[in-house]
Amino acid sequence: MAGDTSHGHEPPTDTATSMDVQTEVEEPSEGGVEGEVEARVGLRYTLYQLRQDPTALVGLVIITVATAIAIFTTIDANVLDYWFAETVWVHPARDPETVEVALPPVGMENVFGQGTWDHLLGTDHRGRDMLVRLFYGTRIAITVGFVSTFIGLVGGTVVGAISGFYGGWIDDVLMRAVETLYAIPFLVLVIAFMAAFGRSLMFAMVGVGVATIPTFARLIRSRVFSVREEDYVEAARAAGVRDRWIIVRHIIPNSFAPVLVQATLQIGLAIIIIAGLSFLGFGVQPPTPSWGQMLSQSRDWMIENPWFSIWPGLAILITVVGFNLLGDGLRDALDPRIQN
Amino acid sequence: MGLLRYTTRRLLQAVPVILGIITITFFLTDAIPGDPVQVMLGPSPAQEQVEVIRARFGLDEPLWYRYVTYVGNASPIWLTSVDAFPFLVPEFGVDLGTSIYYEVPVTQKIMERLPVTLLLMVSAFAFALVVAIPLGVVSAYRRNKPTDHVSRVLALVGVSTPSFWIGLMLILIFAFHLDWLPATNLILPWADPASVEGAETQVDVLVAAGTHLLLPMISLGTLQMAAITRIERSAMLEQLSQEYVRLARAYGVSDRTILRKHAFRPAQLPVVTIVGLQLTSAIGGAVLTETVFEINGMGRLIISSIQRQDFPVVMGTTLVFGLVFVIGVIVTDISYAYIDPRVSYGEREA
Repeated sequence: MAGDTSHGHEPPTDTATSMDVQTEVEEPSEGGVEGEVEARVGLRYTLYQLRQDPTALVGLVIITVATAIAIFTTIDANVLDYWFAETVWVHPARDPETVEVALPPVGMENVFGQGTWDHLLGTDHRGRDMLVRLFYGTRIAITVGFVSTFIGLVGGTVVGAISGFYGGWIDDVLMRAVETLYAIPFLVLVIAFMAAFGRSLMFAMVGVGVATIPTFARLIRSRVFSVREEDYVEAARAAGVRDRWIIVRHIIPNSFAPVLVQATLQIGLAIIIIAGLSFLGFGVQPPTPSWGQMLSQSRDWMIENPWFSIWPGLAILITVVGFNLLGDGLRDALDPRIQN
Repeated sequence: MGLLRYTTRRLLQAVPVILGIITITFFLTDAIPGDPVQVMLGPSPAQEQVEVIRARFGLDEPLWYRYVTYVGNASPIWLTSVDAFPFLVPEFGVDLGTSIYYEVPVTQKIMERLPVTLLLMVSAFAFALVVAIPLGVVSAYRRNKPTDHVSRVLALVGVSTPSFWIGLMLILIFAFHLDWLPATNLILPWADPASVEGAETQVDVLVAAGTHLLLPMISLGTLQMAAITRIERSAMLEQLSQEYVRLARAYGVSDRTILRKHAFRPAQLPVVTIVGLQLTSAIGGAVLTETVFEINGMGRLIISSIQRQDFPVVMGTTLVFGLVFVIGVIVTDISYAYIDPRVSYGEREA
């Protein structure tokens, strides 16, 4: 499991007793060496805390499995027979002229009907395997989630750090810009963005990423405001360290904890947003499967086969729950004040 | 008066944001490839016909000129009634241009659709608050008891589920399987009985509006409900761990009284904040909910207008959505004062 270190179950020694889990540095010291040590110990303590939290572990397992599926389907598209996901599949025993829908094994009339063991969740209206399509949908969701959050994180960090560190008119201008971006509804912004630049996966990721910038920019800015007044930043400035270096070396690392929590939650949110985009027809274009697009197609078949619309939704729900559980767990682990 | 001055200042602060929204949407929609005139006239129109249409919608002007005109016309006229801008609309009011597809003023189209979307959003937030506040309070009060666990799982699932999927599931269960509620359309409660099918009196219209509204409301409101429940719970927990609560307990004040008279009110501050911030996600959710339930509101208008390359409508609706958000945030800020008397609207930085 991720985060396993060699020291097994014994809690990290020294800092674990002091409640200072935040990656902040208390004492003023020359340079950032102390800060880095503290941050590293803090991270280890966080991982220790996280391991004590069963719900966070469930989240971690969900994310790991989903990511594994995503990587798996990316490395070798033939492993799961990508053909099943994208093209019309015809059971060899059947007349290739007529494509029939195989129903899922649960709760439907043909419980052990032909082809159900081959297609655990049944097939869609074109005879494409639902499970395989769901797996390929995972790839899209996970990729968009991570990449767009990363874009938002980098952009937001740059904007927030500059804004918070310099203050004054720079802060004013940047914050007004961020507010503007925030005031345009997320979905509308991304749709307009994709309409302008193209309906491809890349622009979906960039669009969602740009729309995420305000969240991170505000977070980083508020952190910078509190960190800026710390003695060690004062000291670094007095020692003649350049501004840019102070931001990169001290301020950003010390804002790490809340950003990590926000990023984890944001990935879940991005997955929901990309599903919404695909549902409206602005995501990945067919035949490449994505969860939102599967849901959109299922609307024509809701009476004939309601399972079309149940499975992709459940896939989104489970994946996003995973990120939310981990995010909540991280927040609890990083902030000792909120116990449970 | 403090409140008035504060409100004025907040409104003035909103001006650059609104200007920013116009700028972003203007250049973004301009970057959308394709020609709206082509959409209008079909694949191979006559050249002079194209020229006429382009001139009518001002599309033959240079970009900067169109931008300045748009900003000017979108502003209330008292700001712009200067002789230096002869191209501006001379009457009172705002002009957001003319829809290329509908060939009516954009403002007219928006006024048609806005009430539907506002009704949907307001009812969704009402649903969210009515469910979430008791749930969050009970959850905090019965911390780590079964009630708390149930409510926390509910909230977790709520924040993790796409609103449009909830909509699909509700349609599946309540419209298709049980056949209790209608799956599409929305009826305004103040609509004329004559225009509503099967309704004779205004009461019938109200009933029809209610049944039509129920599913979209739950679909859109669940996310807000879940988010507010979580905030309510943690805010209540924080208040209940305060010194004054411990003191009150020591004096023998009953838990119920503490909850109702002391802890509840201060715990609502973060809730108000989250309601304001949830507005953007609710607007995005409204776009999806309207699509799922086939409601003719602002959300569907903007989606179809992007597809039809009806740029004036896209810009107008985005601007109105931005306005809704900005006003919503200002209202939440002002409502702080009613909840917490300590909040003053002096020269404090917002």
